[in-house]
Amino acid sequence: MKKSLFALFLSAAILAFCSSPRETAAGTFDPEAFAGPKVKDLYLVIIRDPDAQLLALNRGRADILGDLYRPVDVDALSKSPAVELSIAPGFHGFFLGFNVRTFPWNSVDLRRSAWQVLPRERMVRDLFAGYAEPLSTFLPPVSPYFEPDVTVYPHDPEAARKRLADAGWTWGSDGVLISPDGEKIPPQKLICPTASTAPTTAEIAVRMAEALSAIGIPVEAEPMDFSTMISKLDERDFQMYVLAWQMTRDPDSLYAFYSSKMDIRGGYNMSGISDPELDKVLDRLRFAPDEAAARAAASEAQKLLSDLVPVVPVYSRYTISAVSKQWKGTLVTDRVTADNIWSLLAMEPASGPMRPLYLVQADEPRALNPFTSSSAYDWQILGLIYDSLIAVDPYTLETIPWLAESWTLKTEEGPSGPRTVLTFRLREGVEWHDGTPLTAADAAFTYETLRKNAVPRYFDNVDNIETVETPDDHTLRVTMKNVSFWHLHRVGGIPILPRHVIEKVTDWRSWLPASEKHPSDTGLTGLVGTGPFVFREYRPGEYVRLSGNERFWLGRKR
Amino acid sequence: MSGYWARRTGSALLVLGLVLVLNFVLFRMMPGDPVASIIDPNFSPEAKARLSEVYGLDQPLPVQFLLYVRSTLTFDFGISFLTGRPVIDELKSRLPNTVMLLGTSLVLSSLLGTWLGMKAALKRGSLLEKCVLWSGALSFSFPSFFVQLVLLMAFAAALPLFPLRGTLSVPPPAGGLPLLLDYLWHMALPVFSLVLLGFGGWALYVRNLMVKILGEDFILLARARGLPERNIILGHAFRTLLPPLLTIFLLSLPGVVSGAVITETVFSLHGVGRFLLEAVTGHDYPAAGASFFLLAFLTVSCNLLSDLLYGLTDPRVRMERGGRR
Repeated sequence: MKKSLFALFLSAAILAFCSSPRETAAGTFDPEAFAGPKVKDLYLVIIRDPDAQLLALNRGRADILGDLYRPVDVDALSKSPAVELSIAPGFHGFFLGFNVRTFPWNSVDLRRSAWQVLPRERMVRDLFAGYAEPLSTFLPPVSPYFEPDVTVYPHDPEAARKRLADAGWTWGSDGVLISPDGEKIPPQKLICPTASTAPTTAEIAVRMAEALSAIGIPVEAEPMDFSTMISKLDERDFQMYVLAWQMTRDPDSLYAFYSSKMDIRGGYNMSGISDPELDKVLDRLRFAPDEAAARAAASEAQKLLSDLVPVVPVYSRYTISAVSKQWKGTLVTDRVTADNIWSLLAMEPASGPMRPLYLVQADEPRALNPFTSSSAYDWQILGLIYDSLIAVDPYTLETIPWLAESWTLKTEEGPSGPRTVLTFRLREGVEWHDGTPLTAADAAFTYETLRKNAVPRYFDNVDNIETVETPDDHTLRVTMKNVSFWHLHRVGGIPILPRHVIEKVTDWRSWLPASEKHPSDTGLTGLVGTGPFVFREYRPGEYVRLSGNERFWLGRKR
Repeated sequence: MSGYWARRTGSALLVLGLVLVLNFVLFRMMPGDPVASIIDPNFSPEAKARLSEVYGLDQPLPVQFLLYVRSTLTFDFGISFLTGRPVIDELKSRLPNTVMLLGTSLVLSSLLGTWLGMKAALKRGSLLEKCVLWSGALSFSFPSFFVQLVLLMAFAAALPLFPLRGTLSVPPPAGGLPLLLDYLWHMALPVFSLVLLGFGGWALYVRNLMVKILGEDFILLARARGLPERNIILGHAFRTLLPPLLTIFLLSLPGVVSGAVITETVFSLHGVGRFLLEAVTGHDYPAAGASFFLLAFLTVSCNLLSDLLYGLTDPRVRMERGGRR
C-alpha cells in the first residue's frame, strides 16, 4: 500500500512539474554558472549487478547511480536519507507494431480498435509502479515537437467492438472476427523478447495478447532471442511486434519509422505504413528550412499518424537517477536527471575537502574508439572527453553555443537547387588536452575524415555535406547538398576530433586510442579531446579514471 | 601402450577438427543478424550494409570458413564485434580472474568435500555424518545468485569486512604486495561463495562412493589380514576412490572457463564467463568462436589427460592395456 501511495505521489509530482509552462525555465540557463569541472578525479566504477550497484551507493562506494529501472530499487532508495533521487520523463517510447502490408492489419479500423482495447494505464500501473506513463502519441510528451491535439483512443473495449461492427466486421461462432469481405482473422503471433532478457516486455506482450483475443483477434505472444526478433522485423517476417525506442530531441524518428521510403530491408519502417499524404508531410519535416516549418510538419505528421495507427504507442519509461547527499551542485530539470554533464562540471563535496567522485558505469566500455563506438557505456566516457560545436539547453532542449560561440543558417541557391549553408564561429582560446589550440581545421578535418571513410556511426550526419571550408582559423563554413533545419543538429552535434592525432591514424576501424601512449605527454593516451575531462586510465572490469581538464575553456572562466 | 596413447591423441585431434567445423557452421546458422545486434537504431540501411562489409559478413561462406580456420590455428581470433578489441586481448585480460576464481574454488571445494565425505563415510550414523549429509544437500541445492547476494549483503554491506565489487580497490593501492593482498581480499568472498556452493556435491559423492568401497570384499579381506586401519583407508579405500575423483576433477576443469557467469555478474568480476554469454547472445562470431574453441580444447585435453592418468592410478586399467599389446 505504502509503495503504491509513494508511486502515485511521485507520478503526481512529476506531472505537476511537467505541466508547468516551459517558459519559466527558458532563458534562465547560464552555462557560465557551470564553469568547472570542480572535481579533480572522476572514477567510472564498473558494477554490473543492479543489487551490487545499490549496495555500493548505500555503502558510500559510489556517488552517482544513473538510470534506475527497477521500481523496487527506486522505492528502496527513496527511503534512504543519504541519497537524493531525481526523475524526469525521458525519450523512451514503447510501441505495439503491426505488419500493415497484409490482412488483417491492413484494416485501419482493426488497428484503431486494437489501440482501444489495450489497458495501457493498468499495465503501466501494474508493471512500473508509477515510474512510467502511458503514451498516447508518436513522440514522447517531453519532446519540444510533441503535438497534444491528436485523435486518442482511450481504453474502451465496447467502443472498439462498436467501431468494428459499424465497419462491417462480424464475429464467428468461435468469437473470432470476420472481415467485411468474409475473411476470418487467422491466429496472430505477437513477437517479443524473452522474459529473461526483458521481463516487463514479455509480460506486456502476454497481457496485450489477452486483451486483443478478448475482442476476437486471436493473438498469442511469441518470445524469442532479441537479435532473432530484430532479424524477423528486418525481413518483414512477422504479424505483430512490441519494441522500445530511445528517441532524440529531434522528431526525425517520425521520418525513419513511418516514411514509405524507409520500408526497405533493414529500414525502420517495419510496420510498412505507406501513405502518400503522410510521405509528403514527412518529407517536409525532414527538409524543413526552419524551426517553424519543422514544428508545423511534426505536428501534422503526428495527427496523421494517430489516424493511420501504424503502431500503438504504449508507454514511456521515466529516467531516474540517484546521487549521494555528500555532494552538492547537481543540476536537475524537468528534462534531465542529476547524472548529466552540468552536474559533473559543478559538483563538489557538501562538506570537507575535495575527494574523488565515483559514478557507476553499468557495463564495460567497449572499444573507446570515437569513430566506431556506439554503445551508451562508451559514450558515457567519450562524451566527457570530446566536445561538439553545439550543446543542448537542459531546460528547453534548445541548441546553445558550445565550441562554436555563434552560427548562421542560410539557404542559398546551388547548382542543383537550394541548399543550407552553416557558418560556425569557433570560440577562441580553446585547447586540446595536450595544449594544442583548437582551430576550424580540426572540425573540417573531422567532417572530411568521417565523410571520406563513410564511417557508419556518422553516416547520416555527414551524408548531406557538400563542402567544408575554413576561411580563417575560427570560421567553419559547411555547405550542405540540400535544405534542412536539422542539418545544424546533425553537423553541429558531431564530436570534434583533433587533426594532429587523427591524421596519424591509419586504420580508424581498429584504432584503440585508450591503449595508445601520447607521443609527448606521458599522462595522456590517444584519447585527446577538448572536453571537461581527460582520460587517464582504463582497468578492464574495474574502472575508468578521468581527471578534471584544467585547460577546459569554460573552467578557465572561473 | 604407446599405440593406445597415439590412438587417444589422434581421436582427440579429430574431435577438435570437428569442433572447428561445427563452431563455424552453428554460429552462422543461428537465427538473427549480427549486424542487427550491434548497430545504433538510427543507422540508415546504407550504414548497416557498410558495417556488414567491415566485418567481412558479405564474403561467401567458404571464404569466411578459410579465414576462420586460419585465424583459429594461429590464435589470431580477430576483433570482437562487440568490444572492438582483439579477442585474444579480451581473453588475456579476463582469463586470470576466472581461473583464479573458479580454479581456487574448485580445488578448495574438492579438497573440503573429499575430506568431509570420507569422514562421514567412516563414521556412519554419527552426528558428523548427518551434518555432512544435510549441509551437502543444502550446498548442492541453493541457487548461486541467492547465496552470493546474501553473502554480499551480510559480509560486504552490513558487516563491511569484504569489498562489494571487482578485483581491486578504486583507486588501487600502490606497490606489489599491497596490490596482491588487495586482489586476494577482493577474491575471498566470491571464492568462499563458490566453495560453499560446491563442496556439497563432492562430499555427497565421496561419502556414497566410500561407503560402497568400504563394503567391498578386498577391504574385508584387508581387515581380516589385520592390516592397520590407516593403511586400509589410505592404501586401499582411498586408492580405489582416487581415479573416479581425478576424472571428475579433470572434467570439471573446462567449467573453470565457462561456468562463472552469475558469480562474475554478482561480484562485478571481469571474467570469461560473461564474455562468453555476451558473445553468444550478441552474435559476436569471433569472440564466441574463440571461446568455444578454447572450451572444446580444454574439454578434449582434460578428457585425454584423465584417460591417461586413469591408467597410472588404477592398476586394473594398466593390466587391461598391457594385455592388449
